[in-house]
Amino acid sequence: MELKSDLKILVVDDMGTMRKIIKKMLVQLGFNNIHEAQDGSEAWPMIKTHLAEGAPFEFVISDWNMPGMTGIDLLKNVRATAEIHGLPFLMVTAEAEQSNVVTAVQSGVNNYVVKPFSAQTLKEKINTIFSNKK
Amino acid sequence: MGATGFLNYSRPFIDAAKKVFETMIFTKLEPQKPLIKKDNTSLGDITAFLGIIGDFEKDNIKKSYKAMLVISFSYDTYIKVANAMLMENRTQYSPEISDVGGEICNMIMGSAKRNLVELGYSSNMAVPSIIEGKNHTISYPTSTNVVVIPMNSAYGTIYMELCYKEED
Repeated sequence: MELKSDLKILVVDDMGTMRKIIKKMLVQLGFNNIHEAQDGSEAWPMIKTHLAEGAPFEFVISDWNMPGMTGIDLLKNVRATAEIHGLPFLMVTAEAEQSNVVTAVQSGVNNYVVKPFSAQTLKEKINTIFSNKK
Repeated sequence: MGATGFLNYSRPFIDAAKKVFETMIFTKLEPQKPLIKKDNTSLGDITAFLGIIGDFEKDNIKKSYKAMLVISFSYDTYIKVANAMLMENRTQYSPEISDVGGEICNMIMGSAKRNLVELGYSSNMAVPSIIEGKNHTISYPTSTNVVVIPMNSAYGTIYMELCYKEED
């Protein structure tokens, strides 16, 4: 499926390397409106500010383990906020243990991707999220 | 832990490293014969490492353990690996690429973790750290043997080291 190229995406990861990799993969996939945050505590005010300005983020890709605010806590904040409770959210994790997956699903994640992953895998995860939203 | 036990413990890390390098760095790793390391001088110029603590359960006996995962690169190999991973074209090391090694360490540990669980090991990983500089030393946990697994790649040799100690 084709998603609009200016889909407003927020990439959240405490490791600059992973933010850069995800951003480059997204550019490869044709996206051009990509913003970054270093962890949940930087991302959450950004999400609220952009919402208040009338140009909310349309998709969040967030790491799980981060200092400050974890990806799960960021997700919980999003799901608890009426105006953005349905914001598509992809969780990136280094660990694929069953308990992690259950926690992510219970917290309302739309999909998750386990590191290491390729641009093709990221594309498939994104397509699944937005196909299910239709 | 005997040689067989260590081999079992190290296999998930080797498999994870191969997977990480193939998926994110677009190169194959060829693990070489493991060696026992005799000193604490790094075999590379840049070292990423993380501590691991956890429990090992076999035949209803549970023991705690400490371990450490270390990945060392020469400057040349590190820059080539970072370039492949970040799709860049750098010629020199810079602080901007200092967390590449840590992220590789992170991914190897995370990926190894699920296979370690199948072998009876639970593990909690710390945040990775980086040491940079010629002939730097590494502080291994006390009273542990350090096993080096050199891994050849198109970008040069990567040295993965593991040490492991069961608590009394």
